[in-house]
Amino acid sequence: MASVKLTNVVKIYDNNVTAVHDFNLDIKDKEFVVFVGPSGCGKSTTLRMIAGLEEISGGTVEIDGEVVNDLQPKDRNIAMVFQNYALYPHMTVYDNIAFSLRLQKMPEDEIYEKVTQAAEILGITEYLMRKPRALSGGQRQRVAIGRAMVRNSKVFLMDEPLSNLDAKLRNQMRAEIILLRQRLDTTFIYVTHDQTEAMTLGDRIVIMKDGYIMQVGTPEEVFDRPDNLFVAEFIGAPKMNIMKTKLVEEGGEFYVTPFGSKIKVDGEKGRLLKEKGVKPGEVLLGVRPEHMVLADAADAGAISAKVEVNEMMGSELHLHVFTEDGTRLIVRIPTIGLTHEQRESLVNGHELKVSFEGKVMHFFDPETEKNLLYGE
Amino acid sequence: MSSGPTLEKRHMGMTAANRLSNTVIYIILIVMSIIWLAPFVFIVMQSFRVESTWMTGYVMPQKWGFDNYIALGKTDFWHWYTNTFIIALFTAALQTVIVLCMSYTLSRFRFKMRQPLMKFMLILGLFPGMLTMIILYRVLKDLGMTQDNAVPGLILVYIASSGMGYYVSKGFFDTVPKALDEAARIDGATRAQVLWKIILPMAKPIVIYTILTAFMGPWGDFVFARYISMNSTAGMNVAVGLQSWLTLDQINSRYTMFCAGGVIVAIPVTILFMCLQRYYVEGVTGGAVKG
Amino acid sequence: MLSEREINYLRMPRWQKPFWRLGQGLAAIPKGFGRFFAGIGRGIAGFFKGVGENIADIGRTFKNGNAVTKGSFVVMGLANMCRGQFLRGLLFLLMEAVFIVYMITTGGYWLSMLPSLGLVGPQEEYDLILDTYVTTYHDNSFKILLYGVLTIFFIIAFIVTWRMNVKQAKISQEMIESGHRLKSSGDDLRSLVDEGFYKTLLALPLTGILIFTVMPIVFMILVAFTNYDGTHDGYFNSLFHWVGMENFNQVITWGSGSTVYSATFGEVLTWTLIWAFFATFTNYFLGIFVAMMINKKGIRFKKGFRTILVMTIAIPQFISLLYVSKMFAKNGIVNGFLMDMGWITTALPFWEQANWARITIILVNIWIGIPYLMLVATGILMNIPADLYESARIDGASPWKQFSKITLPYMLFITGPYLLTQFTGNMNNFNVIYLLTTGGPTNPAASGASGAVGYTDLLVTWLFKITTGAESKYYMASVVGILIFIVVAIITLIVYNFLPSIKNEEDFQ
Repeated sequence: MASVKLTNVVKIYDNNVTAVHDFNLDIKDKEFVVFVGPSGCGKSTTLRMIAGLEEISGGTVEIDGEVVNDLQPKDRNIAMVFQNYALYPHMTVYDNIAFSLRLQKMPEDEIYEKVTQAAEILGITEYLMRKPRALSGGQRQRVAIGRAMVRNSKVFLMDEPLSNLDAKLRNQMRAEIILLRQRLDTTFIYVTHDQTEAMTLGDRIVIMKDGYIMQVGTPEEVFDRPDNLFVAEFIGAPKMNIMKTKLVEEGGEFYVTPFGSKIKVDGEKGRLLKEKGVKPGEVLLGVRPEHMVLADAADAGAISAKVEVNEMMGSELHLHVFTEDGTRLIVRIPTIGLTHEQRESLVNGHELKVSFEGKVMHFFDPETEKNLLYGE
Repeated sequence: MSSGPTLEKRHMGMTAANRLSNTVIYIILIVMSIIWLAPFVFIVMQSFRVESTWMTGYVMPQKWGFDNYIALGKTDFWHWYTNTFIIALFTAALQTVIVLCMSYTLSRFRFKMRQPLMKFMLILGLFPGMLTMIILYRVLKDLGMTQDNAVPGLILVYIASSGMGYYVSKGFFDTVPKALDEAARIDGATRAQVLWKIILPMAKPIVIYTILTAFMGPWGDFVFARYISMNSTAGMNVAVGLQSWLTLDQINSRYTMFCAGGVIVAIPVTILFMCLQRYYVEGVTGGAVKG
Repeated sequence: MLSEREINYLRMPRWQKPFWRLGQGLAAIPKGFGRFFAGIGRGIAGFFKGVGENIADIGRTFKNGNAVTKGSFVVMGLANMCRGQFLRGLLFLLMEAVFIVYMITTGGYWLSMLPSLGLVGPQEEYDLILDTYVTTYHDNSFKILLYGVLTIFFIIAFIVTWRMNVKQAKISQEMIESGHRLKSSGDDLRSLVDEGFYKTLLALPLTGILIFTVMPIVFMILVAFTNYDGTHDGYFNSLFHWVGMENFNQVITWGSGSTVYSATFGEVLTWTLIWAFFATFTNYFLGIFVAMMINKKGIRFKKGFRTILVMTIAIPQFISLLYVSKMFAKNGIVNGFLMDMGWITTALPFWEQANWARITIILVNIWIGIPYLMLVATGILMNIPADLYESARIDGASPWKQFSKITLPYMLFITGPYLLTQFTGNMNNFNVIYLLTTGGPTNPAASGASGAVGYTDLLVTWLFKITTGAESKYYMASVVGILIFIVVAIITLIVYNFLPSIKNEEDFQ
């Protein structure tokens, strides 16, 4: 149980490559924070700096108010689960979990209590006397978690723990991690490249790119109010549709004109545009696939497009459509509202019209890529 | 793809050609096996020869007997044998420690002087080892560790610079994931405990390989043993001693004894090697080539 | 888009491409040397720059230092001890004390004698008591050289330590002023089993290497510039002195100035290179060939054949070599067998004739080396992904094509560095040559050069003969040793130029 505070943390490698720039974050006690981003964004590096496995080039890391920059990992009272589990191959599962406790010179019967307790929670009691190589990936993962659990540490670090599991197992383990979180009641810092994991697990998400923090916020915040283009495209699958278009003002109302259409920015967004004094001009317009709808053929202001491919996902259809100038958009349509004929007609070449409401529009500055309404 | 009969004909033709090449290969391999083993068979046979002790042009003894082996007892041979055995034992123990320390450190730790150190040792290794003998001999002589007392001197020479032979072991340690070290350190182990409790128990193959090669080395060394024992026969190892029996003045009375001595030297070492053979193979194929 | 150069290459007729690539490779050699010397230049420049920066830093430390810091310029370890780091302070002080005492008592003497390597040699003096001339001994060139070099090492160590002392004084002052806590002696000791564990692990091995390899090599390099030999052993019969490049001139002379040494050197060097080449590559390709044969589908008793060959590795090499050497002797088994079969009438001169000897040595070396190479090759062969071959078979590749386009390139790539070490190792392969032929048959033209050099002598065996020969021309041995190093270093450099860079070990981890 502890807070973690990173102030101006920087990581520069020997060859003068800066992996992490000026990282500032306040993690509250018992919070579940997820670092997410593409490969090489610096998320693992930051985690390892917190753990003490990488030297901190600049700034301070505090755990529970104490600056830990110069402390060895073992003195920081943290626990970590590795991507490749890193189980000690020559020891049994029991010894793996007991290892840290034995180093603390805990009496054997106390160790027995703790290990069996953790094993039971994780459902690995029957494997206690086996060696790691006799276990499956998912079982090994649980042992790794068990090893970290028994330490009662202040901070629980996890470095892409689910990346090596197959899709089905991953979903299962995700739920188990949520349960684990409730049980352990400690501070979690979780690193992943999968935005789904980030959204489902985190109290707050830290989105990183190239060593910079792109946004920090709750899942809701980063989904509804992305600070910049990168976050908007990173969160949510399929990716948000980004359209280069013009924002025009007409009769006191704002309109966007992508691909020869004219769509009114109505509702809250329209109001905010006026409030923030946004000037008409070139913008990047973002609309999520699930927020696009098929418009009436007669709707003059809607976007004309042709279907390229449709992906049948079961309860929805993902339509990949081409606009007149060749831009590809993705539209998600629930299949439940369609008749069979309608579904059959949505094939390559079919022409249709797409539209959306003002409240699902996101506006980004074409140069700075910042959100015109919410970014600073 | 062709149809029916042509395909079958081709298929059978391939098998025939295959069978032919396999037969040729078998023949080559069998001949090779004979050629490779022949000299050793000859040595064994000639060691049992009783009718003469000089070098002859034939292999099969006319009279068989253990005379040569018994005669070994009246020479310095067993003295040389014990010398070499003691040297091998100490070298095996100490050299292993030194090599493992060096290779583990270079594999795991990243300190400022690491790259310069490795480059420096690479360059150092380009010098012929013999060059250092001259002065080492003088120094060891002053310390009384030469000639009759060559054994401690040789041990010292073998192990002192053995750190430079870290390549194979380091290659092995490089294949052990660093995440294991890290997990242990987070669990509360100091780096010393990581080495002792986690890495070494896993490193059995390479430890055995290092001990094995360290043990076998002194049995075959000629140059250093020859130089350090200088003119004393009491300080020789088996290689130097047996070689001295083949000089022009000694060979006529010692040739068959040489064979007997060779057999006695070869047997235990060979048996040891064959028992631990798979570790040796693992070391060679695993670490030696990655270099 | 492809560049014009790339387009030209792609359109070249197939037979021309290897030549073009070879040409590029050869052209790269002078460039490589250029880069190498530039690198050395940069290294030296960097070194001086580093020295300059250090001196500037020392100046700054003095200027900005408080009394304690300034004091530690004179009394090493003062800053450490005053600021609570007793262990470090004590060690520094100890170093200073030992150094000063040493320099005053003996160090100064050795250093002063170094330029001359001794002034007074053995003298004949009349001893009144014994009523005869008796030899008295005075200066000892050997000891002067040895201890002089040690003293220089000691001085360098002291300077480095003093610099560390000053630097720590500066850092500790800054840390105190900015409110940071200094590492205590307890911290230092604890780190020796943790972050600083590498120091503990490396201490013994590095000390051993320093004393038993670095110092002797430095010493021997210096000996090459003296006239230290059997008649000038430095103490008992005569002192030895510096002779500059004279020894090298004897061995490396061009044209008319050629001496028996340089001629011998040239011949021995040529044979050494030829030998290393054949020894390495015959074993390499034959080893691969044998490994492939045993590995082939359809061959049974794989393990058996391999075990038989591997057994020959187990037997100490000197036994095999000595015995085989006798096998091929004039009255040995091979000749005996051939004569008994009536195939020859006089014994074949396996060891007696120069070229016979050379070929026989290479053949015997194949016998010694194949099992080992076969092991290495087998390990690698097993690691070639099978689907490479399958895909090639589907594409219609013949077995030979599969070998030359998949197996061989893969092998060469992985074993590139290994081949290099094998080559340089063979250049210094003492045992095989010496135990088979002791370097013979003797080369009469080389009898002027010390050591009774023969036609199969390598540079190393020659070195050995010089050292253990009657004249004990140690300086010559040093010269030859240094030349071996230079040749090997040049070859290593050239080959590294050709090899793809497999130097980045982090990529493999």
